[in-house]
Amino acid sequence: MNNAPKPRLEDLPSKAQLYRSSIAAAIGAVVILVTVYLPAEHAIDPTGLGRVIGLTEMGEIKRELAEEAVRDAETHGDQSSSVIDAIFGAFIGSAHAQEAWRDEVTFTLAPGATAEIKLVMEAGMTATYAWTATGGRINFDLHAHGEGKSIDYARGRGETAGEGSIEAPFAGEHGWFWRNRDSSEITVTLQLRGDYSEVKQTY
Amino acid sequence: MTSTSRGLRAPASRRAVTLTLFTLAGLILSAAQALAHNVTPGDAGYIQEIWGVHIIPFIYLGAKHMMTGYDHILFLLGVVFFLYRMKDVAIYVSIFAVGHSVTMLLGVWYGWGINAYIIDAIIGLSVVYKALDNLGAYQKWFGVQPDTKAATLVFGLFHGTGLATKILEYQIAEDGLLANLLAFNVGVEIGQILALAVILIVMGYWRRSPNFMRQATVANIIMIVLGVILTGQQIAGYIAST
Repeated sequence: MNNAPKPRLEDLPSKAQLYRSSIAAAIGAVVILVTVYLPAEHAIDPTGLGRVIGLTEMGEIKRELAEEAVRDAETHGDQSSSVIDAIFGAFIGSAHAQEAWRDEVTFTLAPGATAEIKLVMEAGMTATYAWTATGGRINFDLHAHGEGKSIDYARGRGETAGEGSIEAPFAGEHGWFWRNRDSSEITVTLQLRGDYSEVKQTY
Repeated sequence: MTSTSRGLRAPASRRAVTLTLFTLAGLILSAAQALAHNVTPGDAGYIQEIWGVHIIPFIYLGAKHMMTGYDHILFLLGVVFFLYRMKDVAIYVSIFAVGHSVTMLLGVWYGWGINAYIIDAIIGLSVVYKALDNLGAYQKWFGVQPDTKAATLVFGLFHGTGLATKILEYQIAEDGLLANLLAFNVGVEIGQILALAVILIVMGYWRRSPNFMRQATVANIIMIVLGVILTGQQIAGYIAST
């Protein structure tokens, strides 16, 4: 019935070998659990090794994202999913050269810190932006929500400058979630012009 | 952690928007405030927050992916099921590793976007194929024994394509991509060795049992069923997605 002969006992590991292997595997599993798994998944790092090899940072970021996702669901749980692919691309135009900017926002983020800057826009309005980051490289998520809808226009990580325009497909708050994942303080300067009624920091 | 905040300076001639920027603590604020930037949690979320070379984290993610990927583990179990000598285990597992490494690295590097459902359905079929092979079905049905090493290599290539498809979904940053990808591959092999260690210990005890050959038949039939279920789930997912 099987495509192999019955194993000969001399080909198999002895009971003593198997016993030793089992003990070694159990010890190995506990070591991996404590030094690798707990830091990487839960930012629990009893040995301190996880911090050194970068796994505790992973655990911290995951925990942070999980908490944000929960808060997100509480605040915006009724929203439809984003329509990234359908609309992405149509919104990233290039800004024209130095026409006068209407607003300039400057803020500084310590490592790990976040900010959210939003433009209040009506459907069909277009706003143009340009930003630079100095002191480090920044992560952002350019998105919008309002009228029960949400959109992700663009995401970036480790970037130092960006420009383009936002064309609002619906009324609401359109703008950036910024996060400093770098190791130094970052100052972001964001310049804006176009149709929008208000600039505000929402977070 | 501290941070400074500055008000804005409005360019001349245009109205200034009143904007207060709060001090932004490094710790996440506990207050429930609107955030809504479509958070991606978990491993993918972590990967999408970082850039640059992160060797150990990507080794970890590769190993985790392999050890939690029951389709890969099932195929691996099928491959080593009747390999009694460590030398044979090493040869076949190496062939599988070469196969999946080639398509994983090339697939990510060149961005071969293959439908995840289709590739996972093929991976499910690889489990069915190997379990049937273990039962000697091809000899009984067709009177021939297909080359087992070649089959391991070919299915390894498919498993690697599946891995590549998952990694592409992670959207690893361009900055540090090659080093991180190689680290991920090393992690996949480490995960495979760790999974294999457990499989071989359990099989070691089992093979000593006088009932092993009879139970092996049942076990391989169960593997066929599991492989068919995996394949069916993916086909259903594919149909639902189109």
